Amino acid sequence: MMPAEARAARNRFLATLLCVVVAGAIFPSVANRGLVFIAGLLWINVVFGLAFNLLFATGGILSFGQAMFYAVGAYAASVLSLRLPELPFLWALLVSGLAGAGLAVVAGTVALRRSEGVYFAVLTLAFGELLHIVITKSTLLGRNDGLNGIRRPVIDIGMLHLDFSAGDAFYYFILVVCAFLVGVLWMVTHGAFGRALLAIRQEAQRAEFLGMPVQRYRLIAFAISGAITAVAGALAAPWLQIVTPDLARWSNSTNPILFTLLGGSGFFWGPAAGAAILSVVFYTTRTLAGIADLATGGMLLVVVLSLPGGVLGLLNAVRQRATRRHSGTEAADG
Amino acid sequence: MGLAEWATTLVNAMTWAMATFLVAAGLTLIFGILHILNFSHGGFFMIGAYVAFTLLTRLGGANSFSAYLLAACAAAVVVALLGALVDRVILQRLRRVEDAYVLIATYALLLVCEGGTKLIWGLGYQSLQPPSPFEGAVVVGNFAVPAFSLFVIGAGLAVFAGLEWLLGRTAAGRLIRAVAMDPWTARLLGVNVTRVFAMTVVAGFALAGLAGGLLLANQSLSPELASVFIIQAFGVIIVGGMGSVRGAFLGAMLLGLIESVGSYILPDLPGLLFFAALAVILLWRPQGLLGRERGT
Amino acid sequence: MTHITRRDFLISGAALAAAGALPTAWAQQRGPLRIGLITPLSGPQEFIGSYVKNGAEIAVDQINKAGGVLGRQLALVTRDDKANPAAGVAAARELLTDGVNLHIGVISSTVTLALGPVMQQDNGVLLTTGAGTEKMNHENYTPNVFRIGDSPDARARGQARLMAQRYPNVTRWTGLIPDHEYGRTTWAIFVDGLLEFYPALAGKKPEVLDPVLMPYGVSDFRNSITLAMRQSADGCFNSTYGGDAITMFQQARGFGLVQRYKILVDAANEFLIARGMKSAVPPMWTGMHYYPEANKGNPMSDRFIADYTAKTKDAEPMGWAAEAHSAIYALARAIEKGKSAESKAVIQNLKGLTWDTVTGPRTLRPEDNQAIKDTELVFIEPANTEKGYQVTQYVKVDGRSVIFPPSPGKAMTFRKP
Repeated sequence: MMPAEARAARNRFLATLLCVVVAGAIFPSVANRGLVFIAGLLWINVVFGLAFNLLFATGGILSFGQAMFYAVGAYAASVLSLRLPELPFLWALLVSGLAGAGLAVVAGTVALRRSEGVYFAVLTLAFGELLHIVITKSTLLGRNDGLNGIRRPVIDIGMLHLDFSAGDAFYYFILVVCAFLVGVLWMVTHGAFGRALLAIRQEAQRAEFLGMPVQRYRLIAFAISGAITAVAGALAAPWLQIVTPDLARWSNSTNPILFTLLGGSGFFWGPAAGAAILSVVFYTTRTLAGIADLATGGMLLVVVLSLPGGVLGLLNAVRQRATRRHSGTEAADG
Repeated sequence: MGLAEWATTLVNAMTWAMATFLVAAGLTLIFGILHILNFSHGGFFMIGAYVAFTLLTRLGGANSFSAYLLAACAAAVVVALLGALVDRVILQRLRRVEDAYVLIATYALLLVCEGGTKLIWGLGYQSLQPPSPFEGAVVVGNFAVPAFSLFVIGAGLAVFAGLEWLLGRTAAGRLIRAVAMDPWTARLLGVNVTRVFAMTVVAGFALAGLAGGLLLANQSLSPELASVFIIQAFGVIIVGGMGSVRGAFLGAMLLGLIESVGSYILPDLPGLLFFAALAVILLWRPQGLLGRERGT
Repeated sequence: MTHITRRDFLISGAALAAAGALPTAWAQQRGPLRIGLITPLSGPQEFIGSYVKNGAEIAVDQINKAGGVLGRQLALVTRDDKANPAAGVAAARELLTDGVNLHIGVISSTVTLALGPVMQQDNGVLLTTGAGTEKMNHENYTPNVFRIGDSPDARARGQARLMAQRYPNVTRWTGLIPDHEYGRTTWAIFVDGLLEFYPALAGKKPEVLDPVLMPYGVSDFRNSITLAMRQSADGCFNSTYGGDAITMFQQARGFGLVQRYKILVDAANEFLIARGMKSAVPPMWTGMHYYPEANKGNPMSDRFIADYTAKTKDAEPMGWAAEAHSAIYALARAIEKGKSAESKAVIQNLKGLTWDTVTGPRTLRPEDNQAIKDTELVFIEPANTEKGYQVTQYVKVDGRSVIFPPSPGKAMTFRKP
């Protein structure tokens, strides 16, 4: 069974997840529809960031091309919704996830052959751009104008009939599915596979000597991350009701990196914190013209230079210092 | 294709290749020594172009070849100084940190470059025509070649020759290569590795600024310029082998040829062959044409 | 330090929420009439967005000085759509929930397509001020979205008509078109115009060559230019855009490409290429949303230029400023006509509305929400001045003679060679 420490960590996680879900569920009753729209995107971005961080923090793999999975999932869901509307939405989510995993296997096979991280990063960037070109050339995928008019689904599971087509009801579905995906990512990160990835990240040679199939594990991690990102993208399609080729560009790939760095890659919830903070920043500056580049770049630089642990790292350090001051003894490393 | 058409295709290919090499040279140099992929390289290339443009339009001489070259050198100096600043304030602080964080810092720096450029020079499109001797076409037999294409090819070859000489035959070059191969031993032998790293960064930035000035008349000038060259520069240095200037040179020529011939065979799919070639070459030779096998 | 109990917190929170909700309904009747301006204020289309913002602000100032609309002052609520659908939808949703039902500004085609359903679902009205997609009046038509400027078909066919009139002997035509939706559609429309107007006005059948596809967002166009050099055409239609167009023409100079054509027609660059290339600009006809000289004597236009120059020191604003200006006036007139700013009434009164603008009177077709207006075309040539270029001719083509009949809900169809 699980050691006590691990069980405590899992319970802490579940408690946090519950709080987040409850807060998310209450939100629409206190916020206007514009904010609800942004909140729906926030949950999707949380999953986007967490899936990136599975590769980055646990696997030591920096991917600059996560947008390709987001786009694959979004487009798969859109095409299915428009061409095969009778196919239940849950199937569309499954297909999107599989498409993401498949793309990851293909891209990973080419890109993971170099052991040096920078190569992988740039190759994933190139793959994303290639996907972007393919989308803009494909009539099935709507070319430059993308696909629009994607309906929010009606879902029938057994006895349940869930009609998300009206209003913002789909927000709750996004919330539930994202919470589930976050749970999956937690289990992967803290389970045996996650530990193996961590070992590979810290000392790949030694892991190889111990008989771990390093390349295969990395590919599997990439596939998991790709699949989950694709499902997040598939949720975005009916929410935005339009999918466009720039979902695949590297400007979208940098989003999960921004979230993770800002929030702190060393913490599981780091990317979530970063996504939330950025949403707030973008919302509060939405009326200001033109300084977006300078502000985002400047902020990121400041974070990288002075807060390598991200915002959560800063909060953690403050908390630890406060604990030491209050108790007067060395606090346990938390 | 007739002979004249082959010749034109070849010249186009070489023009693309040398322009891309000019941009990629500084990028691959910094990577080879410091293992930093400088995402902001395109941004400083752009700043170099704007500096040269400002000098030529404010001080006059937009039609003079010597003024054009001088402006490019001035741009190199200005961007080199910026590089020294960037090294001091950002890169040195991140020396001990994981590579990934440096990559992200340079991406942030790119955003700052773009934002700063918009603030200083505004949003509109500008352009500068090639200086007088290079405005028209050079006619050889029964085919004509744009004179500026020849300038770009010449500039690329000159910079390549210069880098070969610098790295291969000067003391500074040998120092740089030694530090690249084994910084630990170099430090033990009394080499001021930090200073060598700084020198390399400055050199890489100088190359970016120089490329910006030399290529000023090659394309339109706007805050979008940074992102225009990025993908092809990255592609070229990956194919050539990251860290190898010779590799970048070869990779540029190979991809340039593929682009040109590709546009002839598949005119309806511009750009696709570039990525296809990238993938194939990397499947066959993951370290690039002249890249060295490195451990983790 | 006093301890705030959880109860206190909840109560004050509820009070605040209630207080926030109350005045809105009341304010809508008494306070300023708010119009949402959703336009790119950052990112790739920031340049155009800045003109839209200035044009809209000037219109609002002018109308307010004249007493406002229905006794109420106008107020612009500005939001950046960043030229991407997610930001655009978020902005629109926010404004719509906040009680702002009338909007202008969108430039990006994808944002326009994204906002159509949103406006329809949430009872809003949107007047686009320069979006290029033809789909908003065709397969993606919704009654809530209006195009108050040139339709793509009026523009390109207007250009073709002018060519047939002025240059009846130029019958071999090719195109330099970017390999994306906008490029291909504008070319198809231009060809349709050639096929109709050359036989009709010049008595000749035009010869349409395969256009040369240009990449976009790249640094080098020489390969495509080489392909173009292999053709022998008399007339050339260019729909490459912005920085790409400048780079392409700049590199083309070395090949002598443009000299091979008797006439060059540019789809929509206005003065962008001329301002960038100055005296190196190739002589060309180009389409404008608004050319100040051509509208001198129109008091609205004269006043607009005076105000624009005073506000920005720019005496020759790009056409999108005029489109934003015209959009505000369209809304004002529709509100006045129906004595109501409610969406249903405004839509009803916009449809079929004829109103005065800086380019003269325009009419909004009720069937497909498309404006009918004159297409303004200018001929740009290099000049030996500081500016570097000059307009040596300008023409207004009657929009009614070139615009396609309405077909809301259906895709556009063209004559093919």
